[in-house]
This record gives sequence, structure tokens and C-alpha cells, in this order.
Amino acid sequence: MLEIRDIRKTFNPGTINEKHALNGVSLKLQDGDFVTIIGGNGAGKSTMLNAIAGVWPVDSGQILIDGTDVSGLPEHRRAPLLGRVFQDPMTGTAAGMTIEENLALAARRGKKRTLRWSVTNSQRSRYRDLLKMLDLGLEDRLTAKVGLLSGGQRQALTLLMATLERPRLLLLDEHTAALDPKTAAKVLSLTRQLVREQQLTTLMVTHNMKDALQYGNRTIMMNDGRIIVDIEQETKLRLRVEDLLQMFEQSSGAALDNDRMLLGNV
Amino acid sequence: MKKLLALVLALCLLCATAAAAAEEFHVGILQLVQHDALDAATKGFMDKLTELLAADGDTVVFDYQNAQGDSATCSVIATGFVNNNYDLIMANATPALQACVSATGDIPLVGTSVTDYATALADPEMDITVGTGINVTGASDGVDGMLYAKMVMELVPGAKAVNVVYCSAEANSVVQYEAFKAAMAEIAPDVAVNNYTFADSNDIQAVVTGAAEGVDAIYIPTDNTAASNMTIVSNILQPAGIPVICGEENMMAAGGLATVSISYTEVGTLAGEQAYKILKGQSEVGATPIAYCSQPVKEYNPEYAEAISFTVPEDYVAYAPAE
Amino acid sequence: MEAILGYFSSLNPAALLRAAPGGIAQGLVWGMMALGVYMTFRMLNIADMTVDGSFAAGGAVCIMLVLNGCDPSLALIAAFFTGVIAGSVTGFLHTVLGIPDILAGILTQISLYSINLNIMGRANQAVNVNKVSFYITSNVKVLGQTIAVTGVFCAAAIALLWWYLGTQHGSALRATGINEQMARAQGINTNAMKVIGLALGDGLVALSGAMLSQYQGFADVNMGRGAIVIGLAAVIIGEVLGQAFLRKRLNLWLTLLFVVLGSVIYYLVYVFVLWLKFPADDMKLLTAVVVALFLAVPYLRDRKKNSFRRLTRRNADSGKGA
Repeated sequence: MLEIRDIRKTFNPGTINEKHALNGVSLKLQDGDFVTIIGGNGAGKSTMLNAIAGVWPVDSGQILIDGTDVSGLPEHRRAPLLGRVFQDPMTGTAAGMTIEENLALAARRGKKRTLRWSVTNSQRSRYRDLLKMLDLGLEDRLTAKVGLLSGGQRQALTLLMATLERPRLLLLDEHTAALDPKTAAKVLSLTRQLVREQQLTTLMVTHNMKDALQYGNRTIMMNDGRIIVDIEQETKLRLRVEDLLQMFEQSSGAALDNDRMLLGNV
Repeated sequence: MKKLLALVLALCLLCATAAAAAEEFHVGILQLVQHDALDAATKGFMDKLTELLAADGDTVVFDYQNAQGDSATCSVIATGFVNNNYDLIMANATPALQACVSATGDIPLVGTSVTDYATALADPEMDITVGTGINVTGASDGVDGMLYAKMVMELVPGAKAVNVVYCSAEANSVVQYEAFKAAMAEIAPDVAVNNYTFADSNDIQAVVTGAAEGVDAIYIPTDNTAASNMTIVSNILQPAGIPVICGEENMMAAGGLATVSISYTEVGTLAGEQAYKILKGQSEVGATPIAYCSQPVKEYNPEYAEAISFTVPEDYVAYAPAE
Repeated sequence: MEAILGYFSSLNPAALLRAAPGGIAQGLVWGMMALGVYMTFRMLNIADMTVDGSFAAGGAVCIMLVLNGCDPSLALIAAFFTGVIAGSVTGFLHTVLGIPDILAGILTQISLYSINLNIMGRANQAVNVNKVSFYITSNVKVLGQTIAVTGVFCAAAIALLWWYLGTQHGSALRATGINEQMARAQGINTNAMKVIGLALGDGLVALSGAMLSQYQGFADVNMGRGAIVIGLAAVIIGEVLGQAFLRKRLNLWLTLLFVVLGSVIYYLVYVFVLWLKFPADDMKLLTAVVVALFLAVPYLRDRKKNSFRRLTRRNADSGKGA
């Protein structure tokens, strides 16, 4: 359902800060694919996700969702199709608004925003049920300002908001990177649960190679703005982390030197 | 018994006359902004009124307030005055007068330093020689634009271009510019008359420098903003050797060559006389005609004349600052 | 010493009380503008410099319409829409032409100076108070009515704003100001929201300018000078006092109420300073000092209970006892 055709993106062209972030990336996703994306620093993982989301237009190439070319649509026009969770827990929610107001915003994603009251009683009971599922005690704090929540709670809430109105594509950009291991595990299991329940097509960028192998039915490795390895389900099941590192060396001609990725797997 | 009665009667009479004589009046003074001309008008008003009332054995208490150039503050002060039930209010400058008119229809208002009362009160049909018909009267600082035009042509007979500099936000200045332009068109139609306006004191420097280019003389009407910033103006025009004809004396003293002088003190004094008559019930405020100054005098500033090496005709009076 | 005693004895408290209603009336008129500034400053995080220009524009349009025979209430509505246009222009400059928000506001403000001069045809335009009667006027005899009318206007504005910000559309606007990235990810057209917010804010400001022009009986091309400063001062005074008095119970509509109150307090301070009869030159300094005191007192009170110094002293004392 997602097709990326040879997209390229260069930041600050012609200056001293020029960076070729995406050097011809092509990718095809089927409905229900859960793809994990790994790679070194500056490999282009987050950039690819931003390109799909439409944060800025790509220099060349096409992005198609369900057969429709969305390359020319700005971020807020693509948002109805996508659910996004960012690396920074602060980015996914509006700190000055309450939990129910945040959920109400997500509920209107893709729909016209009218002058009807934003949070109604019928919606409240729906939100309460959904929040119970998170098992964080948030269902009793609907009117609490989101700024008071911890990073893990905000990230869980962002995940809920991203899947509130079933998105065509779920984009997760290292969404557990800023969380402690226990909370990260909780958020990841929640991710798995939601993806399974709603059968969501998902792209998850992670720095944890074990997670990359454990989750999803496909793993992509990127380097220098290109996809260098694409591992399907069967191969994935047999792989271990050392194998991944070897594959990286072979394909890119250099050793993987991302400390976070290496140390996180020890 | 009769003696006692006579004594009591005499005492009563004495008290009555004493009470009638020893009246204390409360007068509020609302001045728009601080500069020499307005200050002179206020002083002239206060001095004259005190003097006239003292001659009757009465006293007056003044409540002087300055609006710091902010027209909204005028309303705050005006409503305060009215709430205090003053006997009379003196409004120094147009926005001050307008704020007072809005705040009260009863308390007599005497204006000073207002050029055109009909425009200020938005009543074009008003006959100022008879009176305003409402609770307003006052003294005008207006001088016939023709006098300034004649002065310019007298001082600089070969002039080809004359520029007029003033603040676009001041209605009085626009009126004076129009009058000057019309007068120049009559007596010297070949001379180019252009206006250079600034929005506020921040633009004065740039605008005056522009106005000084290739011009033979500059006329600055009685503009509150210009008057408050004459040093900036003369710092540009004096070194350039340009004859500057100002709207009034204090501006000229601060940095101009010549003026058709009316004394702002006289404007204040005239207002003071009107106020006295109103307070003593001798005249009705709405039926008091607007007062104009007596014969204006052609004055020049010897310091400025010397600085730009300019010789002034014989009949001009040299300005000498009061000691 | 005598001079000081003489000065204090000359101050008449009754005079201050009598001058207060005028301050309250003006405070309520400017309170409408404070609501507009709150809209752009707090909801959208934009310091909207258009305000100085849209305030005067509202006054100019109102006076010119009234002079041409228009009903004063309709003139107020027209002034509101003038502000909406002004705010939209600033929004356009910022979102479509990419000009930084403060600069966009300044550009609109500068343009409005010339436009206002053209609207009025002159720098200062008065209304003949004998020919027109306003509900909002500084005429002291009906000051009670003026206060009631402006109070009702402000209450209506507060109610409308509170309602709007609770709707789906209003929530989207709030989200834009709080977290623009997240708003876009939720499908909100943040550029459109900014323009709408600016339009609404400047509409309220222009309405306030129209109310002031009716109050003082004239419109002046410089009447908006310094309006943004007064607006921000009112917003902050209101928020600080609201926090101090209500703490946790402070919600949106109470905040809006305090913002209007902040404006009233600002003008009462003005009245107070005028009453003190300080030399005219020092008045603005004195106003600033009084406002600063207002804002410092709640902060200092909090610090008294909980500060580093206290903690040091407490620890030193308990250390001595050990």
C-alpha cells in the first residue's frame, strides 16, 4: 500500500553544510507489513519517515499511498492517512491542553473541524476505555494537563492518539529512544498490541537491533541515504544481532560505528 | 433692643459681603503635552485669572494635569476633573478640548492653543464671532496664513522653492499648511510650495534632511511635535544655512530665523479674562466669542541670523529672551 | 518636612474615589483590546504588533461612519471587521510571504498609519456631541451607564471567546500555538489557524478602538500608540493576579476575566498616579513603578515561604541544634 519510487533529498545544497540525506530510496510495502528500520547515524532513517510524512517536499521521486501520489501534498494534508509518534515525547502532544482535549484533537484528524464542542460525554467514555488499556492510571485523569505527565506516559498517549482513527500507515520514529528500559518495553508491547488489533501497516525506526529483529515481519537497514539490506520474514527469524552487523559490513564496506546501536545490544 | 438688632443686622451684612467677597474657585487645567508655547499659555492663564479674582478678594485653586502627549490620557484626566465638580476647566490644545467636551456638557470649558474651534468641535456651521452655543469658548492661536507667506517673500524675494515641515498627525498643522499654500498661490504663484511630513518625533531627522535639499526657505507651522524637538530641526537646517520661518516665538527662539509672533502668554491671558467673566457670571460661556491675539509682530532671532549670515529688514523686532 | 506634610495634606482621598469611575470605564474599554492581545499572544504565541494600527483603524472607521450618519452600534460592528481585515493581512504576510511574525505586524501597523489618515482625511476627527449620542461616552453624568455597557460588551466577548476555544476549531487553534508540529501531524492547517487567530485578535482590538473613539468623542491617528504595551501589561497583570488569588482553580474563562481586570487595574493605577500630583515628567516612571510593585508582591510572597535563603537558614539552625 506504500510505494516509494527513487526519492532523493539534499539539505543545504551548494553550501558547506550540504548533506545528501536520501540518495535514491525505493520501497514497497504491502498492507499489514510491520517494517523495522535500522542504520547508523545520519543513515537517513528519520529523513525517510519525514519524507513520507510530508514535512518537506522531496527533490525528486514519488511517494504513493494506496496508489495515490501524495508527493505534492503538504504535511497537514497527508496527516489523515498517517499516524505518527516522534522520538521526543514532548512533540507528540500539546502540553498546555488536557488529556481528553489531546485525544479529541486526534479524533478529528482527517475530518473537518467544526464549531461543535470539542469533548463530549459520549467521547469521554470511549477515551476512558482506551486509556484503561494503557494501564497507566490515565483514565482517571482525563482533565489533567498533559504537561504534568512523564515522558513514558506522554509517549503512550501519543501512540494512542496516532491509532485513534485507524491510520493507513503508522510511522514510529525511535519512539522509545528517550524512555527508560521498563517504560520502553511497555510502550513497545503496547505498539505490538495496537498494530496487531488494528492490523496496521507500520514503519518503525529503532536503534535497538534486538528489537528490530523481534518485532515486525521485515527489517530494512539503511546507510548513506540508501537501503542496503532488506530482510524478509523467514530470513529474519533465523538471524541474530551479530549476523546483522556482518551484513552491514558486507553491504556498506564499513563497520557499523554507531555506539548506541552497538552498546544497546550488549 | 434696637441697638442689638442693628448690630446683628450690621454683622450679617458684614458676613454676607465677606462671604460674597471671599469666594474660592476650583479650576482644572488639562495640558496636552509639555513645551514652551503651551507652558506659556498655561502660565498666562493662571496669572491673569489669579490677578483678576484677587482684585475681587477671591481665590482660585488650580489643578494642573499634563497628559504627556497621550490623547487617551486626556479622557482620564477630563473625567476626573468633572467628577471633582470643578467650576471651570481650561483645555490646552485640541485633543484636550475634545476630551473635555465629551466628558461634560455643563462645566464651562475654556480652550487655549486651539487654532480652529469649528473643526475641533466638528461643527462647521459654528459662528465663532458669536460663540459656540455649547459650554465651550476660548482663545485661538491662529495667525492668518497670509502673514507668513508675505514674510517668506519679504525675507527671501528670489525664492523658487519653499518647503513646509510638520507632523501629519496634528490637525492644526495641516490647517496652517493649507492656509499658507493658498496665500502663497495668491501672492507668489511661481514659487513651488511642498510639504514634508513626519509621523512622529522618530522621523523628524530624516524628513527635515529631505526637506532641506535644494530649498530656499522652510516654514514650520505651530506644530506640537516640531516645537518639542526644535533642536533636532535646527541642527540640520542651521548648518545648511536655510532661513526658517516658524509658527511662533518659542519655536523661533529654539532654532528658527523669524516668526510672525503672537505671544502664547497673551493667548493664555485672553483665556484667563474669558474665564474670569464666566466664573463671576458676567458672561455666558456659549455666548462668548473666540478671542484672537492683537496685532502680531514680525520678529527675528539674532543668533540664528548671525549663524547663517542673514540680514533682516529694519522693521523686524529682535527677539530677546526674558531674563 | 513642612513641604512634605503640606503635600500630603493637599491630597484628597475623596477626589481619588471620585476619579475612579473614569478609570474603570477606560479600563473596560481597553479590556476588550487586552482580550484581543491575549488571543494572539497567549493562544498563538505571536506578539502582534499590528495592534497599534488596528486600534486606531477601528477608531477611525467608527468615527467616519458616525459622521456620515451611521448608527453607532453598526459602526462598532464595522470597526470589528476592519480589525479582522488588518489581522488577516498580517497573517497573509507571515504565512504566505514568510515574513517573521513580529515584522509582519509592524509592516501592517506602518501601512495602517497612512490608511487611517486617508480614512479620516485628517489627523484628528471629532464628533459633534450635541448631534450624536453614544451609549459609550465619557460624559460623567452617564458614566454608570457607560460602565454597564462596556462591562456587558467585555462579558459577551469573554463568553464568546471561551465558547470558541472549546470547540473543535478553537481547540485546533490552541494546539497550533502550543505545539505546531503536533498540530500539523493531526491534520490541522496551521497557517490557516494563524491567520484566523490574528484576524480574531485584531478584530477585538479594532472594536476596542471604536469603543474608545465613542468614549472620548474623537478619533486620532495616534490613538493606538503604545497599545500593544498596555495590552501586554494588562494580560500579564491579569495572569499574575489570577494565579495569586485563585491558584489551581484558575481556568480559561476566569483567566479572561482577570485579563480584563488587569486592564482596569492598569487604568486605576494611572488615575492614582495622576491624583498623586507628581511632576508631570515623572508620571510614566511612577506608573511603571506601581505596576512593577503589583507584579512583584505575589512573587515575593511566594518566595518568602520557599527560597534558598530560608533553606540555608533552617539548615544552619538545625545544624546548630545537633
